[in-house]
Amino acid sequence: MNDNPANKANEVKEPTKAEKVAKAIEERFPEAEVQVKTNRWGRQRVWVRVPREKYRELMGFIKALDREAHYSIGIEQDWGGELGFLSHLVIHYGDAPAVSLIVDVHAPKDDPVIPDVSDIFPIALQFEREGMEMVGLDFDGAPDKRRLFLPDDFPEGIYPLRLDEKGVSDEMVKNAGHPYYLKGGAKK
Amino acid sequence: MTEKVEYWVKMPFGPIHPGLEEPEKFILTLDGERIVDVDVKLGYNLRGIQWIALRRNYIQIMYLAERMCGICSFSHNHTYTRAVEEAGGIEVPERAEYIRVIIGELERIHSHLLNLGVLAHDIGYDTLLHLTWLAREKVMDTLEAVSGNRVNYSMVTIGGVRRDIDEKKRRIILDMIKYYREVFPQIEEAFLHDPTIEARFRDTAVISKRVALEQGAVGPTGRGSGIRDDARWSERLGVYPDLGIKPVMPQDVTGERPRGDVFDRMAVRIGELWESLELIERALDGMPDGKIKAFPKDNVLYAKLRLMVDGEGIGRYEAPRGELVHYVRGKKGSDKPLRWKPREPTFPNLFAVAKGVIGDQVADFVVAVASIDPCLSCTDRVAVVQDGKRKILTEKDLLKASIKKTREINPDIKGDPTPVGSSCSR
Repeated sequence: MNDNPANKANEVKEPTKAEKVAKAIEERFPEAEVQVKTNRWGRQRVWVRVPREKYRELMGFIKALDREAHYSIGIEQDWGGELGFLSHLVIHYGDAPAVSLIVDVHAPKDDPVIPDVSDIFPIALQFEREGMEMVGLDFDGAPDKRRLFLPDDFPEGIYPLRLDEKGVSDEMVKNAGHPYYLKGGAKK
Repeated sequence: MTEKVEYWVKMPFGPIHPGLEEPEKFILTLDGERIVDVDVKLGYNLRGIQWIALRRNYIQIMYLAERMCGICSFSHNHTYTRAVEEAGGIEVPERAEYIRVIIGELERIHSHLLNLGVLAHDIGYDTLLHLTWLAREKVMDTLEAVSGNRVNYSMVTIGGVRRDIDEKKRRIILDMIKYYREVFPQIEEAFLHDPTIEARFRDTAVISKRVALEQGAVGPTGRGSGIRDDARWSERLGVYPDLGIKPVMPQDVTGERPRGDVFDRMAVRIGELWESLELIERALDGMPDGKIKAFPKDNVLYAKLRLMVDGEGIGRYEAPRGELVHYVRGKKGSDKPLRWKPREPTFPNLFAVAKGVIGDQVADFVVAVASIDPCLSCTDRVAVVQDGKRKILTEKDLLKASIKKTREINPDIKGDPTPVGSSCSR
C-alpha cells in the first residue's frame, strides 16, 4: 500500500515484471486479449483471455517462461451462453512481488470442450475433474475423468453450478439454500 | 524363467480416519507394507457452499466463508473480502490493515500449535500433545478477548475490520507474547531436538521439490520442499512488506537444506510461530490512529457494493496451511456475486502428499497426512444435495427407524420417545 508512489515512479522508468510478461504473451499470441490491471493497493495482475485453440500452447509458453510456475486455482463457471475455465498462476516468485497471471478460456455450451493441460501442470487435472462434474465442461485428453467431489450416485447430466436447466432444480433441493429465499438467486 | 508375481493389495484408508477428525478416503495400493499407489477420494464433507452462495449477497457470504472451516475462519473471510475489495476498488484504512495482520497472525499461532500437537499425537507422543495444546489455550483466550469468540472471529468486513484494538486488548496481546516467549523455547526444544521425533519424522513422506512443484504444493508443505514462496510476501499484501515479512524456509530453522520430509514441514511451522510473534509486536508498535472501516454501517456497505462491484477480483492470502485463493465475479446492480470460488491450501497439498508417500510404509501414512495439516472441511466445500429416486434418510427418519427398532426388540418398553421441544426444525 505504501509502495504505491514508488511503484508508479518505476512504471515510468521501466516496465514492471507483470508488464514484461504481458508484453511477451501479447507478442507471441496476437489473438489473445491481454490486460494489466492494477488494484487499489497497487497490485498488478495480468488478465489474459485466449481462444481455446491456443489455450494449450499458451500454458506451455507460460511454463517455458518460468519452469517453477505455480498453478494455483482453476475456476469453472457458467457465463450464460458459454462455459468458462479460468486459471490463476503465480510466476517469477523468486522475488516479491510475483507475477499474478489469470488465463481465461471459454467454450460454447453445445460444444463444451477445452483442451487438457494436466501434462503441463499436473495439479490442473484435479481442477479439471471438478470443472467436469460441477458445470459439465469436457477436458479433451484428460487422463482421469472420474468424479472428485460429487457422490457416485449423483444423477448424470446434472451439474450443480450450472445456472440453466441442467443445474440443480428446485425439486431436488430439500432444506438447502436460504430458508426464506430459495428461488431466484443467480438463476435468471 | 520365472515371472515376478506381485501381490498387491488395495486397502481403503478412511473415510473415518484414525489420524484426522475429518472424513476423506484414500485407497492405498500396498505391496506388503510398502505403499505403491494412493488414490484420493474427496467429498465426504460436501456442504454445497458454492451452491448456497449463489443465493446469498456479498455481506451474507462473509459469514458463509467464515464457517467453511473453524480453524482458518479468519483467512477465508479475509481472502474473500480482499477479492471483493479488488473487484469493487474499495480502499481499506491503514489501521484496519494492521488489525488484520494481528488477527491473522494470532490465528496462525493457534493453527500451528494445533497441528504440532496433532503430529505428536499421531506418533503416540501425547505428552507433547498436551504441552502444545495447553500453550494453545493462551492464544485462544487472547482471540476471545480481542474478538469475542474462540473461533469465527468475524473481525473482517469488506472495507476494513469490525472491531478496534484498544489499549486493554493491546495489553492482553502483549501479555500473550510475553507468555509465548517463555513457552516456545520448550516446544522448539522438544520438536527439533527430541530423538524420538527425529527418528519418526526425518525422511518420512518425502515430497521432493519436483513433486511439490508439479502438484502445486503451498504453505509449509511447499516451503518444506524448498519452494520459496509465501503469499503474504509474494503478493506484497497490505502492510506485510512494511512489517518485514519473509518466507520461512526449513534451513532458517534447522540449518540444513530442505529435504521435504515431515520434519521440515514441522520445522517451518515452528519458524513461523516465532515470525508471527514478531509480526504482531511490530504491528502493535506501528499501528497508526484512524478509522477502521471504509463504510460505517453494513446497510451503507450493502448499497455501495451493489454499485461498486463490477468485474472480477482475486484475493490471495497465506492461510496457516498455505496460499489461499478466492475469486469473485460481480455485476453492477446486483447484490450477489455471480461466481465465488475459494481454493484452499489443503487441496493441492493433499495430492502432493499422496504422491509423496509412495514407497513409504503404511504406518507412516497417518503422520504423513497429518504433516500437511489437512483441513478437509475447507477442501470439500463444493456442492450439493440429493437425487430424485434414492431415499436419503434425514435425522427424523433415522430417529423414527431407531424407535421402531427399539419397539421391535422390546415391545414392553415404556416412555414416550418423541423428542421434547423443537430441537431441530429440520
